[in-house]
Amino acid sequence: MTLTRRDVLRLAAAAAAAPLVPRVVVAGAAPAPAAGRFFDAAQMALLDELTEMIIPQDEHSGGARAAGVAAYIDGRLGEYDASIPDLREEREKWKAGLALVDATAREVAGTPFLAATPEQRVAALTRLAAGEEDPKTDGERFFVELKRWTTFGYYTSRIGIHEEMEYKGNTLLAEFSGTDPATLPTVRPHEDPKPAKP
Amino acid sequence: MLLRAPAPPPKDVDLSRTYDAVIVGSGAAGGMAAHVLTSHGLDVLMLEAGKKLDIEAELKSMEWPYDHPRRGEKPYTSHALRFNEYTVRQPPYAQGSPWKTVDSYVQGWGGSDYTKNIVVNEQDHPYTGTRYAWVRARVLGGKTNIWGRLALRLSDYDFKAKTHDGYGDDWPISYADIAPYYDKVDLYLGIAGHPEGLPHLPDSLFQRSTRLNAAELRLRQSMARSGRVLTPYRAGVTTDGLKHNKYRSRCLGRGACGRRVGGCDIHAAFDSPTGLIYPALDTGRLTLRTGSIAREVTVDPGTGKARGIAFLDAGSGQALEAKGRVVILAASTLESARLMLLSRSPQHPNGIGNSSGHVGHNFCEHVMGPGVYGFFKDLAGKPRTIDDGRPGGFYIARYRNLRERHPSFIRGYGFEGSSGTEMFPSTTRLTGFGASYKKAVREMSSAAVHMGGFGEVLARYENAVGLDPEVKDKWGIPVLRFSFQFGDNERKMAADMADTAREMFEEAGIDVLHVDRKVLTEGWSIHELGTARMGTDTRTSVLSPFQQSHDVKNLFVVDGSSHVSASCQNPTWTIMALAWRSCDYLADQLRQGSL
Repeated sequence: MTLTRRDVLRLAAAAAAAPLVPRVVVAGAAPAPAAGRFFDAAQMALLDELTEMIIPQDEHSGGARAAGVAAYIDGRLGEYDASIPDLREEREKWKAGLALVDATAREVAGTPFLAATPEQRVAALTRLAAGEEDPKTDGERFFVELKRWTTFGYYTSRIGIHEEMEYKGNTLLAEFSGTDPATLPTVRPHEDPKPAKP
Repeated sequence: MLLRAPAPPPKDVDLSRTYDAVIVGSGAAGGMAAHVLTSHGLDVLMLEAGKKLDIEAELKSMEWPYDHPRRGEKPYTSHALRFNEYTVRQPPYAQGSPWKTVDSYVQGWGGSDYTKNIVVNEQDHPYTGTRYAWVRARVLGGKTNIWGRLALRLSDYDFKAKTHDGYGDDWPISYADIAPYYDKVDLYLGIAGHPEGLPHLPDSLFQRSTRLNAAELRLRQSMARSGRVLTPYRAGVTTDGLKHNKYRSRCLGRGACGRRVGGCDIHAAFDSPTGLIYPALDTGRLTLRTGSIAREVTVDPGTGKARGIAFLDAGSGQALEAKGRVVILAASTLESARLMLLSRSPQHPNGIGNSSGHVGHNFCEHVMGPGVYGFFKDLAGKPRTIDDGRPGGFYIARYRNLRERHPSFIRGYGFEGSSGTEMFPSTTRLTGFGASYKKAVREMSSAAVHMGGFGEVLARYENAVGLDPEVKDKWGIPVLRFSFQFGDNERKMAADMADTAREMFEEAGIDVLHVDRKVLTEGWSIHELGTARMGTDTRTSVLSPFQQSHDVKNLFVVDGSSHVSASCQNPTWTIMALAWRSCDYLADQLRQGSL
């Protein structure tokens, strides 16, 4: 069996359908969400939940929440110079995108995203993720952007690099532990050794 | 172990004297000219437009992303041009831009903060005409500070390509002429690779090769069945060290190669400053002047020979002239052509060295874009090795149009690729979200294999650069106007790259996740070549086989502009071998008083 793009999509769909999210519920009351540098408190709470749904805590390592991905995204947007039109637009897209997530949850569950059940949240995010390979709507485009920033924020974090990926590089190596080329069998080319003579 | 000597102190510049040679540019070609000429005992002045950076402080190769305030990204007020901007819009791309600085596409990669002072701000350095992704580094060492390190030789399949397939022109030299100089470059600068005995990709005098990992070895073995050769990345990197160079350390597999725009702060990867310029400064015969914007080759009105270089001081804007018995252009393929075209005088009305009208023409390069990404699925979840602790993964030698003739295109292409774990996992491109996505990113990262092709773009007279009659750069100097487009041969070759890349993966049992068929914008390979080609016919070429102007005997152009055809091999090693050969000749001629 070969792993095709469709398989990968199917895997993701299966993951989304399975009740994965409730397994990792933080015990006790969550701290009251604080406003960020760019997002208000409600937006920060929503962004934090979305990033954690994309890269959740699992038995292997902490997720986007533990890695502070929402704060990273907020900090980055907060640093944007709003006098530059592209950056101003990008900021607006983020606020609009979060609003679209709530709108999608209302369609799916009749409530804002964070008021929905875990299953309903997964259903709403799955709907936005459906067009990931070729996004057509603003909501689908927002998902691609949200995921791009979430993965960048997560896999450049301490948790992402050291705990999740257990990356062992960025250190001084005597030698890379691959195959010694001296042991490689010779490849005999089939070409003539010289081009045609004039 | 990592303590290296600091840069030697600068020498005072004396513009009242006539140096033996004035070199414009400090990249691979200019650095080599400085090395060779000073080793012959000549007094050399090198002019570099950019600054000399404290490069170790810039690159910080081992800084973790999370220790950087923007995870390695340049300030958010700076914009890197994107593929769609290059294709939808026309140059000058940065015109009217509200961004504080605009960079070429390479600064859109990770780690751009470490290279932000190496590349030019496109706002200050516009160009016009057809779409072109021009990447420039105005700084001591030029693009060698951030080059991809793949160091390949050309063969007579390239030098005598016309003899082989009837298209274009042969070079006026053959492999036998340049082979001793490839050897010199190998030994002086260090190169890692594995000998394969291929007639179309000659072996270098290699230091210890980097190693293939399990996935790459399996791909090599699978390809060997069809006679195609995957070899460990031939890297212009010293893996065993260089006893004669106190500025460079051997490669220590730190992983910095894969995750940045580029740059090696221990200088195991070749760069012109530590590899060539600092040792040349140590001879006491090289004088370096940075911040010197060359704008014209000046001419002796009596003899018509080159007198020196008119330049602007980048700090004060003052117009100055440096004088030399010989003038050597090494400003990059396109900038050297621009300088020749700017150098109009009564003796040289079309620009210096341009009686043939071929300066700026026969512009060629490499086409890229097509590639493939997939997984050796049975390697998924296996313990991860430090696969990015190498200067590169692998190279697949050209296999098209050697003995067989392809029905739809001429010339060939090779692939650069790598596999396995990188600090930032390539598997983040998988679709989906949630626990299964996270697990797939983790487990598939050791199984990922990817590669992309580099193909020869045919040299055509009509592919050219000229001077724009109106637009000027920040210094008031007319800019280049491009008239350059890929043709049918390139498009068919690119399609074949994508097809065969997929076939080779599938035959090896690699599950193909994605095949990229898109051809990237002209210029993307950063391998511009051929705007002042060598030849023996003075009517159709600009330079002699020793890169000497046919028209002006004391003018040499020792960079990639001299190449007659692009081949599909990355050009840096050939640029340096040719420059070495020409400067040996130049020193000899100067000694004999023939210049």
